[in-house]
Amino acid sequence: MLATLVTVVLAAQQTLPPEVMKHVSAAADAQKAGRHDEAIREYARVTALMPDLAAGHVGLGGTYMRKGDFAGAIAPLRRALELNAELPGAHQMLGFSLLAAGYAAQAIPHLEKVKAHDALGIALFLAGQPVDSIVHLKTALDQRPNDPELLYYLGRASGMISKQSFDALQGQYPAAARTHQLNGELNATQRKIPEAEAAYREALRIRPDLPGAHLQLGELYAAAGQWVKAEAEYRAESKLRPGDAEALFRLGNAMLEQGKATEALVELKRADELSPNMPETLFALGKAEYLAGNPDAAEKYWTGLLALENQTPLAAQTQFSLSTLYRKRGQTDKAAAALAEYRRLRGGK
Amino acid sequence: MEGMHWALLLAMLEVSRPSGIEFRHVHSPSARKHLPEAMGGGVALLDYNNDGLLDVFLVNSGQLGVPRTEPRFWNRLYQQNRDGSFTDVTRQAGLAGSPAAGYGMGVATADYDGDGFTDLYVTNFGANVLYRNTGKGGFVDATTKAGVAAGGWSASAGFFDFDNDGRPDLFVTRYMDWTLATSQACGSAPKVYCPPATFPAVANVLYRNLGDGVFQDVSTRSGIAAAKGRALGVAFADADDDGHTDIFVANDGMEQFFFHNRGDGTFTERAIEAGAALSGDGQPVSGMGVDFRDYDNDGRPDVVVTTLSRQRYALFRNEGGGVFGYHSLLSNLGALSSIHSGWGVAFADFDNDGWKDLLAAQGHVMDNVQQLDPSLRSQEPPLLLFNRKGRFEESSLGPVVPGRGLAIGDIDNDGALDAVMSVLGGAPVVYRNRPGPNNWLQLKLKSLGARVTVNGQRQEAGTAGSYLSAHDGRLHFGLGTATAAEIEVRWPSGRTSSMRTDQLNRVLTIEEP
Repeated sequence: MLATLVTVVLAAQQTLPPEVMKHVSAAADAQKAGRHDEAIREYARVTALMPDLAAGHVGLGGTYMRKGDFAGAIAPLRRALELNAELPGAHQMLGFSLLAAGYAAQAIPHLEKVKAHDALGIALFLAGQPVDSIVHLKTALDQRPNDPELLYYLGRASGMISKQSFDALQGQYPAAARTHQLNGELNATQRKIPEAEAAYREALRIRPDLPGAHLQLGELYAAAGQWVKAEAEYRAESKLRPGDAEALFRLGNAMLEQGKATEALVELKRADELSPNMPETLFALGKAEYLAGNPDAAEKYWTGLLALENQTPLAAQTQFSLSTLYRKRGQTDKAAAALAEYRRLRGGK
Repeated sequence: MEGMHWALLLAMLEVSRPSGIEFRHVHSPSARKHLPEAMGGGVALLDYNNDGLLDVFLVNSGQLGVPRTEPRFWNRLYQQNRDGSFTDVTRQAGLAGSPAAGYGMGVATADYDGDGFTDLYVTNFGANVLYRNTGKGGFVDATTKAGVAAGGWSASAGFFDFDNDGRPDLFVTRYMDWTLATSQACGSAPKVYCPPATFPAVANVLYRNLGDGVFQDVSTRSGIAAAKGRALGVAFADADDDGHTDIFVANDGMEQFFFHNRGDGTFTERAIEAGAALSGDGQPVSGMGVDFRDYDNDGRPDVVVTTLSRQRYALFRNEGGGVFGYHSLLSNLGALSSIHSGWGVAFADFDNDGWKDLLAAQGHVMDNVQQLDPSLRSQEPPLLLFNRKGRFEESSLGPVVPGRGLAIGDIDNDGALDAVMSVLGGAPVVYRNRPGPNNWLQLKLKSLGARVTVNGQRQEAGTAGSYLSAHDGRLHFGLGTATAAEIEVRWPSGRTSSMRTDQLNRVLTIEEP
């Protein structure tokens, strides 16, 4: 932005009268030294001496921006674009200033003109256009994948779309199965367990084959430690959707919680076939094999998991499980090594 | 088998309200959320006057920083009468008030001086107190002479004989380095009790009984003090059958401790190596209460540790060779306990079918936990699980209270184990059990740590375990439909005794030959 500004100003300098040139130089020096108020005064003199010099207004607006006074930058930048509508730097600066000062909708055409995807995505979200916003934010994230601002607004925009969809669902179809399912989710999020359970049940009454509702009921029961009921719901979900690896994984886990290791193995193996090499499934498979008295098979699953990920909390749990297995086998060196790795991953004792 | 079905139908714990027990635990909860206010207090079942009837001792807490001179702050001793009622004998027994003591926590029992009468050791936040039973219906404070005041914040304590010299030694758990000055609450709205890791860990204390009423602090020399933790519960058993009693300590929010007795006066903390420090997934648990008994009748003592909700109570099955396996899942204990928060706990055969069942006092430590998670409760019914050959099945039991301590014993001498549960800020709950058709045998032994096997079931003599509490010292064996009992005793001296009797359903006193 600054480079653009300097270029514009330098280009203009070649035809400037000496009196104006003196103030331009003074402004540039003050700006370099961080004396923003002085620079503003000098640029103001430039624009007073040559009111039709677009670059002068750009310089003034840019200096306001450097000072952090975005509202102050808006008027000179607007004036610059009135004088010369094809100044790309001025569009970008005005778009940023309008956005920063809270005029998101007015910023959009200027940011579109210069394809400033990051600021444009944010402006579109703030102007209530989350769908368009997501396109530009994702483009900007391709350039800067870990930018917190962009990630934040992408999340906000996605959430807004979600809310708009759900508001429409609840408003237009209050008696639909999906609406009750949604109500169940909202209640579950707020830990209103009886209300959530009732909503899911109502959803399933209306539409017994509703995808996901049994799974969600299972989660509700699992969180309450009601494993028998959780197992029944997961089983119902996997019967409705036999290709759903998550339902089978959760069914297997619910069985494991009740110590039914052999039965759990059947479901977990099916989950692994449908969605191979999911670390959580591999860990549960190892656990089920170990509890079923098959330490060799358990070791295979757990070492397989560690080949996929070895620095995560799940990897730490796996190392601990392996240390138990090796200790039971009498492989004390391997047990100690796995335990040491567990401790390292957990950050000490 | 038929007998077992009958037992299932008939053997049932029922809440009773015995006349004379008017105790109400006072803990004086404050808005500043001082942690000790959430933790007390203990209960002991003992026959203090040797009349053959179990009496009840209840530890009161009081108010932090205030001497316990007011009667409502007193610990209480209730003597059982022949008709099953109780009489408050606190004052005449010399147990009224505890002006020198601090905020009350737990109790341990044993005849430490070998005079034939059961003594009391009361733990506190502040100095602990040893009450010597005079044998004349009263107690005297013997703390100073014995040298067992400890100090700091003590929780559970237990007597055991770690050096096999026939004299009860004393282990005292200490929770954390906490003072009123360093106390703090956590959270903003609402304020909650801080997690234990907020405060520094501390070492437990081991006192060796030298005889003549004097103990020696051997915490450092024995290696016990080398392991700093946040200990609440303690239980004892000879885990590896080497003739020396080991120690299991329930630590809150960290690795559990298993102190292996090396037989030379020293211990090695090796819970992690033994597979008994963490859950099966390597997660630390909030250990509260603990019991150390053989639940699956394989002749090896196992460990159960009660924990906070969403952690599953930890069952460490003794697999021999000094190794434990995490059996919370296979035993079904995990599924039945995952939402509960437990304190006092005991393996005890309530239906006399020959398999030790499980009873746990429950209630989340945070009195306002419902505001944070509506699915959790600070007041819960106790958990009663029947043991069906190593796998647990749930049975219902009330009332819904903030349970803490738990002591087991046959209060009415009818052959069915009863229980007393202490309640934070409330009246204790007495559970009476109806005898079913199954046979039983109770054994009275003087030697702490004597290992007893009856028809394949193993137990070790002692009163420790649970949380802040002390059980009846008699060993109870449910015998199912067996018509005779094969009894084997291995005494701490190494000598053994064996006998057979077909005279069941009685209390049998066995002395070392």
